[in-house]
Amino acid sequence: MVDVAFQSEAIPVATQADRSRVLQRLRLSDSAFHQVTRAAAIAVLVILGGIIISLIHGSWPALRTFGFNFLLVESWNPVTEKFGALAPIYGTLVTSLIAMLIAVPVGLFIALFLTELCPMWLRRPIGIAIELLAGIPSIIYGLWGLFVFAPFLQQYVQPFLIAVFGHIPVLSTLFEGPPYGIGMLTAGLILAIMVLPFITSISRDVFEAVPPVLKEAAYGLGCTTWEVARYVVLPFTRVGVIGGVMLGLGRALGETMAVTFVIGNAHRISGSILAPGTTISATIANEFTEAVGDLYTSSLIALGLILFVITFIVLAFARLMLMRLNARVGV
Amino acid sequence: MVMTSGASSPLYAKRRRRNVMTMGFAFAATAFGLSWLVLILGVLLWEGFSGLSLAVFTEMTPPPGSAGGLLNPIVGSLFMTTIAVLLGTPLGMLAGTYMAEYGRYDKLSSVVRFINDILLSAPSIVIGLFVYEIMVAQMGHFSGWAGAVSLAVIVVPVVVRTTEDMLTLVPDTLREAAASIGLPRSLMIVKVAYRAARAGMITGVLLAIARISGETAPLLFTALNNQFWSLNLNAPVSSLPVVIFQFALSPYKDWQKLAWTGALIITLAVLTLSILARYLASQRKSS
Amino acid sequence: MNSVASFTVPNVTHVSTGTEGLTDKVTVRNLDFFYGDNRALKNINVSLYQGKVTAFIGPSGCGKSTLLRVLNRMYDLYPNQRATGDVLLDSQNILDSSQDLNLLRAKVGMVFQKPTPFPMTIYENIAFGIRLYEKLPKSELDNRVETALNRAALWGEVKDKLGANGLSLSGGQQQRLCIARTVAVRPEVILFDEPCSALDPISTAKIEELIDELKDDYTIAIVTHNMQQAARVSDFTAFMYLGELVEFGETNQMFTSPSDRRTQDYITGRFG
Repeated sequence: MVDVAFQSEAIPVATQADRSRVLQRLRLSDSAFHQVTRAAAIAVLVILGGIIISLIHGSWPALRTFGFNFLLVESWNPVTEKFGALAPIYGTLVTSLIAMLIAVPVGLFIALFLTELCPMWLRRPIGIAIELLAGIPSIIYGLWGLFVFAPFLQQYVQPFLIAVFGHIPVLSTLFEGPPYGIGMLTAGLILAIMVLPFITSISRDVFEAVPPVLKEAAYGLGCTTWEVARYVVLPFTRVGVIGGVMLGLGRALGETMAVTFVIGNAHRISGSILAPGTTISATIANEFTEAVGDLYTSSLIALGLILFVITFIVLAFARLMLMRLNARVGV
Repeated sequence: MVMTSGASSPLYAKRRRRNVMTMGFAFAATAFGLSWLVLILGVLLWEGFSGLSLAVFTEMTPPPGSAGGLLNPIVGSLFMTTIAVLLGTPLGMLAGTYMAEYGRYDKLSSVVRFINDILLSAPSIVIGLFVYEIMVAQMGHFSGWAGAVSLAVIVVPVVVRTTEDMLTLVPDTLREAAASIGLPRSLMIVKVAYRAARAGMITGVLLAIARISGETAPLLFTALNNQFWSLNLNAPVSSLPVVIFQFALSPYKDWQKLAWTGALIITLAVLTLSILARYLASQRKSS
Repeated sequence: MNSVASFTVPNVTHVSTGTEGLTDKVTVRNLDFFYGDNRALKNINVSLYQGKVTAFIGPSGCGKSTLLRVLNRMYDLYPNQRATGDVLLDSQNILDSSQDLNLLRAKVGMVFQKPTPFPMTIYENIAFGIRLYEKLPKSELDNRVETALNRAALWGEVKDKLGANGLSLSGGQQQRLCIARTVAVRPEVILFDEPCSALDPISTAKIEELIDELKDDYTIAIVTHNMQQAARVSDFTAFMYLGELVEFGETNQMFTSPSDRRTQDYITGRFG
């Protein structure tokens, strides 16, 4: 119990003045800390601004020389110094498209499995496995793609595709050409594997955010698991899923190392996805250190600017979508 | 509730079939996704492990045709990663602190949050171009400093995000308790909030390190590469990812072997950091 | 029915605890409080007397916690919350913009509903606040920590584990740790915001005992939704309803023969 023999805790007046003095001294460091953190936050904006400005500055010679045509010309000739971004842009878009066409349905189905079908004890391990997949550095994917995946495609898959589609009118151009093993399809497939974990984990997170009452109401009517997913979960999370898909797309567009190893590095547009091509990031990665001449270097930086603009738009859109979902769920 | 008469109707049978089919797809998709992980890691372990030896860590990169190791790229990577973390972490933490504490409800924070998320997913090759323009072009030569700075630019958004998230998780009642004994704001943040969020913030730094350990693109034209031993950060410095890139694309078998071994080393480092981060996060939950 | 008419003038029929008269420690005059545009406190006039315990009771949402948080300007941490009127602490208006908030909060301590020890050792939890204002040699710091823990009736239970984390204590112990932390800084007023609502009955009883001992040296205000607790612990009680102070008076008087019918209804359990 409490010891009763205590002096009163009445505070002498002197202590008040002391305290006041201490607080005065602290006031300066207090507001300094406030300003420093504020400056750091502004610094983040400055970094972005710096990126945009330096890219524009570096690409100015090329933009000034070629103008808008830069986006439309296919040829890329360091010797005559005629550069056009059409082939890299085409390659970037096509490989990303292939990647999304595969990764989105597969990712959504995996998320569906994880949230509805998977037994409880298996959920964490699989979740960890997905994260591992996401954490593997892209150069590993590139290495694996070059030495394992591409030869495999060359030996088995591509001849098969050529044979199957060879006689169908439109699709035959899509799958024509010698089976190099490397090329746009290979790059697209590897991108699909890289993007898959992102789409899966974001989809899984938004699926889990659906209020259980909503799903129970549907189950209560006798809906099958698939029907609940299709008519309740997906519409509810639609905005978040789109956000996740955009995020994956942003990653696919900017991916460098995995693509560089297997794209073939050919500056041309081809109707066939089995043909080699190039993407913006692969071009920059391959050619930047050997670029001679200001116009060459500037053209490469201009490519970087185009890539940055494209990914910025995609990522900004993704963010807006995810913010809207959060508002809806009430986060 | 399904009526017994409906259970045998053709519509119900169709619904059931569709359900089974799509659930089958879901299962197959999961198996499909996981099998890639097994394939990739399996090959990596197989190819990389066979080349793993003490020499890899003690000898320098060889010219094609001779034996050697990966000492200089490993050291170079360690140097640049360390500097990048030392540069990027304080900046990221302070910015995240502003957003979670002083500016939690203001416009600046929402703008920075938006921009930060974009920087988080920005193509790293563009970051490389940025640092090339502001450092390499200005200085007239490639350098390890430029490489470190480009990695730091990648570290900042990761640390900003985790710091803000972790500090926001600290309950307001703790802040009020600190205020109630007359603690000035900055001390409340540094001595109470940071301490409460400490594990989470460290996790964020570990994740940032894991992220930059495998980054190749930004180093390609900032730090370039260096086949000799060099501790001079004011000149090109070799790094593990760039060496792997160079060796893998070469036609020499022994170089390719070293590339696989290097890839294994990087992957093991990244996995270890991720496991450590996950362990710390779970410690926090149990305390 | 306004609060002024129901204000019971303290008179000598109530047995006081031996002091000559009652001095105002905190005087609230014409206080309005706003959450955004929403007026949560309406024209509050009340006094807290030195060395006495004043309880604030009332149904949920009546504004009693809001009022308490004005007294140490805790609301200042959040945007869109403001107060108008006067709150005098020893005849200095703490709502004035020139008031140093940290100094104010060192004088007016607060114990919260949910025990919130700092993520530090038990010793550090107490020493932290002391060190903020005074540079003391270790032996004297140890003394102060021991005194504070004794004051909170916790010393016996933790004296052998001062290095343990504050969060390792039980709920009731954590709350007493928070009380010790508050008294260590030597405030003049202590505000208790439903301090026992998260605790078991035994811990509650211990804390009520504490409050009774502390009132000799501090002026205490306690918000509680437990009327019996208010009756046990306080000398004066204020009944609040929908943001207004309906009635204020000596606790005995309030609970046996309140003047306002709303007070009567609340106390007899007709509502709330």
